[in-house]
Amino acid sequence: MISSNIAKKSQIPPDGWDGEPLGGPFDDFIRLLRERDFPLSLKYVVEFYQGIKKGLAYDLDSLFLYAKLVFIKRVEDADNFERAFAFHFYGIDIPAVKEGDPELLYTQQFRDWLKEAIDKGELPKHPQWELGLEELTRRFWDTLKKQMEAHHGGSKWIGTGGSSPFGHSGQATKGIRMYGESQNRSAVKVIGQRRYVDYSSSNSLKGDNIRQALSLMKNMLPAGAYSQLDVDETIRKTARNGGEIELIFSREVLDKIKVVLLLDNGGSSMMPWVDLCRLLFSKMKDRFREFTPYYFHNSIYGNLYKDPQRLNPLPTDKLLLLSPETRVFIVGDASMAPEELYRPKGSIYMDANDDEESSLVWLTRLKNRFSHLVWLNPIAEHEWDITYGNWTIQKISQIIHMEDLSLKGIKKAVEYLANR
Amino acid sequence: MACSSIGVSLTKKKLMGTTASFEGTERYYLNEELRSIVNMALAMEKPLLLTGEPGTGKTQLAFEIARDLKMELIELRAKSTIKGEEVCYVQDTVLRLNDARFGTGDTGRDVSRFFDYVVWGPIGRAFRADKKVVLLLDEIDKTESDVQDNLLDVLEECQFAIREVNQMVKAANKPVIIITSNAKRELSDPFLRRCFCHHIPFPSVDEMKKIVDLHFPELDLNFLETALTVFYELREKGFEKPPATSEFLNWLEALKIDRPESLEADQLPYIGTLLKRTNDILQYRQKKPNPPRRMGW
Repeated sequence: MISSNIAKKSQIPPDGWDGEPLGGPFDDFIRLLRERDFPLSLKYVVEFYQGIKKGLAYDLDSLFLYAKLVFIKRVEDADNFERAFAFHFYGIDIPAVKEGDPELLYTQQFRDWLKEAIDKGELPKHPQWELGLEELTRRFWDTLKKQMEAHHGGSKWIGTGGSSPFGHSGQATKGIRMYGESQNRSAVKVIGQRRYVDYSSSNSLKGDNIRQALSLMKNMLPAGAYSQLDVDETIRKTARNGGEIELIFSREVLDKIKVVLLLDNGGSSMMPWVDLCRLLFSKMKDRFREFTPYYFHNSIYGNLYKDPQRLNPLPTDKLLLLSPETRVFIVGDASMAPEELYRPKGSIYMDANDDEESSLVWLTRLKNRFSHLVWLNPIAEHEWDITYGNWTIQKISQIIHMEDLSLKGIKKAVEYLANR
Repeated sequence: MACSSIGVSLTKKKLMGTTASFEGTERYYLNEELRSIVNMALAMEKPLLLTGEPGTGKTQLAFEIARDLKMELIELRAKSTIKGEEVCYVQDTVLRLNDARFGTGDTGRDVSRFFDYVVWGPIGRAFRADKKVVLLLDEIDKTESDVQDNLLDVLEECQFAIREVNQMVKAANKPVIIITSNAKRELSDPFLRRCFCHHIPFPSVDEMKKIVDLHFPELDLNFLETALTVFYELREKGFEKPPATSEFLNWLEALKIDRPESLEADQLPYIGTLLKRTNDILQYRQKKPNPPRRMGW
């Protein structure tokens, strides 16, 4: 690791640190946080050791609390931190997903456990076939819970330095030793509750985290106070009036923007997202000068629709007449048959008469007109390559900047728009 | 009370060197975790930023800390119109102008004396206080991010300048700073960096029982169990604004007056105390199931 080399070479302790040089017993843990992309700064590390020196962490539970207080700045990162803590100090490797999430099957932890259990003979050779995925998932979580249970209520704590619980044996016991009866709730129990997993930034948009998404969207535009007393001007005017007071109020200009939302509401797969997106954007209404949603199915051709039933068309040409400053969000899965995107007459509707030109032409026109254009895709980014529509997703994202409809994606989309 | 005496003494012992430690008061349920966190923030003299759903007791906590440590609480309720400086001090220019024009009369003010026209804001009052106080910055997320950044330096160094007369106001006693945020807007990274941040999770069923017990000690246990089940089920249903602790307590209050024979999950009395949004209430009445979340095309 680069960091450790630097720390060893530099003789000057950082500001505010007057004890032993960095390199204390928690370095391995801090390194693990970095490896797991947890946002860290040297300031936190210094602060952390200062607190340790003050005796704030006197057992593993208080260490857990104190470390969380120093390191976690955003609730999005909390789950990641707690998992790293469980891994380093308890040797329990918790997957990033929530119990009940089918994504579990793709995690390294699940695969390792499966392989290990088969090798040990605890599971039959072809468990997927013989037991079914549901049963396997259940057993995985059971094993994990037992692991956490076993750690519960002991009096001597040894950090394992992060060896896997599922039998990746052979790693030496390192990490720190801590003694002291646990007075209250044990850290591992708290971690086991996974209280912050819903807030993880890799989560897709849903009711629970809509507040977070909203707060991200609010970064989009500057909004200031409405009115203020202009003291200089008041004094000037008052002096001119021969001392007769005249109050001058100035009004701060609010830079409100126009937002257009283009929603793919065709097909059952888009349905859960339509309401959420509309909700998300309509909440922002007071912040926008104007907000209009339009609808389309699969891809955009000559017509967009003003109503969700797609009966009341608006020629896409008309949309293109809007100010180029307009912020345009397209929400859709971008997954379709290639000809829907590439061929003239490509619309899946036989009676469509707005598809003389291919959808690609229309998307390019949108791109050329609106510099603040972004595509939000409900399909998670890591699945873009392996999903049914991978080809069209790839083509469309070459034209229009694409992010997924997760908290992280929305944040990146807003940043992208802000930097235009 | 919820806190065990062993836990308290241990914390005290371990926090040697700090002048005071926080132990919770009778009216507010404080779990071990929160108590330790408050004490750690006190020990490190860092501002404590509390985030979490509305109704999880963030603001309440500051009041309890002040009560427990027997300190005065000075509160700043943030508004979106706050520009930064006026939370420290304001020069009442209008009054001064008025006095300059019409005379001070027998008010004792002197137009040429600047400090006669200074109105101290919450931060100004906290810094100028004779004793250590608790300074609560409530709902800081309502302010603009550049305002937050301006406040940062003030809070970190515990001093601010009065620019009209070029004078510094420095806190003789660093106040205990508690900041709350409802996450209406993202807080800036530098701001977060200077605070200890804690997200208060929604109370678990057991914790909720203790909270209810503090408010309604006479409540029938069976009834409470049913009410809790119904309430937590309701929270899971994906309403736009899921009911929180304060709504639950209000609902129990209403039920106390008019106690129904039984509680049916789909025909709850006084649903208006639990659900606040029109859409949520309509959704509840229609019992429309939420569409399942699916991925794909």
